[in-house]
Amino acid sequence: MSLGKIATHLVLILVSVIMLTPIYWVVKTSITGDNLFAYPPSVIPRDPNLYYYVEAWYTVSFTRLFSNSFVIATLSVAANLVINAMAGYALTKHFAGKGLVLSFLLMSMMIPFHATIIPAYLLTANLGLLDSKLGIALPGLSHIVCILLFKSNFEAVPNSLIQAARLDGLSEWRILTRIMMPLSRPAVATNIILSFIWSWNEFLWPLIVVRSPDQQTMPLGLVSFLASFEDTTGALYAFCVLVVLPSIMAFLLAQKDFIRGLTSGATKG
Amino acid sequence: MASIFAKKRHRELAFIWSLLAPALLIYLFYRVVPLLWNVALSFSFWSPGKPMEFAGLYHYEEMAFYDDAFWTVLANTAVFMLATPVAIALALALALLVDQNIRGRSIYRTIIFLPYPMMVVAVGIVWRWLYNDSVGLVNYALRSLGLIERPIAFLESYDFAMMSVMVAAIWQIVGFFTIIILTGLQNIPAHLYEAARIDGARAHHRFWRITLPLLRPSIFLCVILGVIASFTSFDLIYTMTGGGPGLATELLITYIYKTSFSLSRFDYAAAVTVVMFLLFLALATIANRLAGGDAGKVDIAD
Repeated sequence: MSLGKIATHLVLILVSVIMLTPIYWVVKTSITGDNLFAYPPSVIPRDPNLYYYVEAWYTVSFTRLFSNSFVIATLSVAANLVINAMAGYALTKHFAGKGLVLSFLLMSMMIPFHATIIPAYLLTANLGLLDSKLGIALPGLSHIVCILLFKSNFEAVPNSLIQAARLDGLSEWRILTRIMMPLSRPAVATNIILSFIWSWNEFLWPLIVVRSPDQQTMPLGLVSFLASFEDTTGALYAFCVLVVLPSIMAFLLAQKDFIRGLTSGATKG
Repeated sequence: MASIFAKKRHRELAFIWSLLAPALLIYLFYRVVPLLWNVALSFSFWSPGKPMEFAGLYHYEEMAFYDDAFWTVLANTAVFMLATPVAIALALALALLVDQNIRGRSIYRTIIFLPYPMMVVAVGIVWRWLYNDSVGLVNYALRSLGLIERPIAFLESYDFAMMSVMVAAIWQIVGFFTIIILTGLQNIPAHLYEAARIDGARAHHRFWRITLPLLRPSIFLCVILGVIASFTSFDLIYTMTGGGPGLATELLITYIYKTSFSLSRFDYAAAVTVVMFLLFLALATIANRLAGGDAGKVDIAD
């Protein structure tokens, strides 16, 4: 190994330590309750146990928070898959007004959802969807990045294949569901992961829309847990670990798709 | 014969538009209509249950001349934006390192990126605790290294609160920027470097003359994403400081939230939102120009 490579490794190891320390510290505290009061803190977990996980499970109505978040995320993933694939397929075709649709989508992409929260809230209230799962999920039922991802994946499918399917008498809808979708696995995977993580982590919108504890999602539960207990309970950090786990798992399971999805829709060259 | 074709074409068009309809409706009702509604609201007197009345520039005048908090919050947002160049510089260095042919580089990449998919609410709660003055790891580490003598309550301090939040924000986003720049690096054709090497260009020349210019679109994409983040970092502020101490870490987005959903001054908050949106558009346009009109360009060539 050359000197340069050793230096590179040293720097990267130092960076990795910095990136991992907060994560390690939370996990350690969640299994020991340590260094909430102890000073100086110990680096290696002493006497690890799952006490705080059990405590978190019972102090907050964990199953309800989890199932709310999960139902909304599932709704969002399913809707994103159907709506984005449909729109992406339509955009592979030539028709009058296509340019207009594309510029409409790109323009909408330039409007951060955060810049629309007040009317979005009033609109949802008028629809009678405040404090409902559909109301929470509604603005995230489609993501433009994913539409464009489907479009470019579909365009890569050889035209001869589509022509052959047409000659065999397959309807357009069947071509989409039986040929295009199975051939676009990466786009499907990316779509599922991105829409899941975005839905799971969303905080501001549910904070605005949700009124009753019954409809609270995970991040809302976490914040109200923080508000009603002091921030030195081991259970709070066990809760943090549990909340972060699903998105980390989704990311680790399909790292390549996730990163490609985030960058391919966005970067060029 | 012609009529059969016309009929078929007609059916195809109906099919295309029905495929597009759900997506278009969502963006119409949750992006475009709210944006216009918001602009209308900003020129009106309105509160829930009352009729809308024309207000002209009333809210904008209040913002400009009578609301000191607005200017503080605007300045805070500008300061928070400075986290972006820092994160980009770090990301550029990291991308160059993990682009090298070294063992375990995919593990390094994964570790650097790991914080990005995490729920920001949890990240904020954890960092708030790391900064704690009596039990926090940051204070412990700084004291062990002899950098400070007595613990600092970082998030309760007017001097340190904003900087501390920015560190947490950089920790979370730097991996994402690294991946974007890395993708840009990998798209630079290798023959350019070879030609430069044959011409006898030194390493730092190759960096300044080839790498950096060709990375411009990726870097400015990071700039735009950073600008967006500074206008949308609600979760982190809400959990770490709640905008405090005083207004020290209040950003435009948290100010808008409080003005509308805590104080029910929806019309005034709508005016602040318009200002925020215009600032975002202006900055994004500038960044895009500087990138040669290519930042974050989506491939829509037909």
